[in-house]
Amino acid sequence: MIEKNQSEKISAIRKWIKIIHRDLGYICFGLCVVYAVSGFAVNHMNDWNPNYIKEIREIKIKNFDYMSIEEDKELARRVLKEAELNYQIDDCFFENRYIFKIFLKDGIIEVDFKNFQVKIEKTKKRPIFYELNYLHLNKAKKAWTYIADAFAVSLFVLALTGLFMIKGKNGITGRGAYLTAIGLLLPIVFIVVYIYL
Amino acid sequence: MKRLNLLLLLCVLSILIYAEDKKKFGESITIKEISPVSKILEKPEEFVAKKILVEGRIIDVCEDKGCWLEISSDKKFQTLKCYGKQNGISFPADIKGKKAKIQGEIYKVELTKEKAIEYFKHQAEHKKEEFDSAKITGPTTLYFLKVFGAEIE
Repeated sequence: MIEKNQSEKISAIRKWIKIIHRDLGYICFGLCVVYAVSGFAVNHMNDWNPNYIKEIREIKIKNFDYMSIEEDKELARRVLKEAELNYQIDDCFFENRYIFKIFLKDGIIEVDFKNFQVKIEKTKKRPIFYELNYLHLNKAKKAWTYIADAFAVSLFVLALTGLFMIKGKNGITGRGAYLTAIGLLLPIVFIVVYIYL
Repeated sequence: MKRLNLLLLLCVLSILIYAEDKKKFGESITIKEISPVSKILEKPEEFVAKKILVEGRIIDVCEDKGCWLEISSDKKFQTLKCYGKQNGISFPADIKGKKAKIQGEIYKVELTKEKAIEYFKHQAEHKKEEFDSAKITGPTTLYFLKVFGAEIE
């Protein structure tokens, strides 16, 4: 009788574990996509810029006596004319004796007067990845911090409930135990090898 | 179902209410008077540890992690490097060329001769300037702005 009661109790707990795991899983799906895609993108930061697409165009212009032009805006207009570019100038600034920067509405032009080289640089947000990374790296801060915290807790609950969802040979007392051990060992091995050896 | 819809609506509203304005970074700007960069660079010691407001064009930004940006001075050939990383502020890479108002504190970094040579060599390479290590004859003091808040136009 006591055994039957205990088995009923365990069944009831397992039922709730399944409900929690199922519903939390539905809620977390979207967030998992955000963190998985962004995680993959950020993991390869050394190979590409996951946030921005940088467009660079270089044009060589003919030499002219740039020092004789006193007005910076006039000099900027002359540079654009020499480079056959048609941009609206927002502002300009001499960073040093040779580097002159022309600010545009959507970019920047760097003029190297040592080599009379004009570099047009436009930086655009990488679609989808910028937005996903913005959330993943918590640049949004404020309300998103709470959502991300809740997601972290949810992931832990999902992992924990996942352990006890199935009984029998594929459950935590059988095959599940070996797979869980592998999952635990992986980070431990890397920590030991990379940090302590 | 009605409860779920209400929950979704609350989520959207809270995001809209608390979403951070992308053009504002860190704390809100409270100082009204702008300190010209040229004035700061002329007598930087007078500004050390003082909370000030500067204004300029963003001529460069750290593209790796957005931990610093460099603004133009009101005078030619002068710039001021502003670090946001101490206060957890990171700047996006697409703000280059935009006008910025930055509230922060001037701080100094003292470098040994060897470290100064290393620093200026790296800076000269980045800015395609000629670098003559003989010009650095001893320890050097550098001045930067620690960013507390920024507004980008």
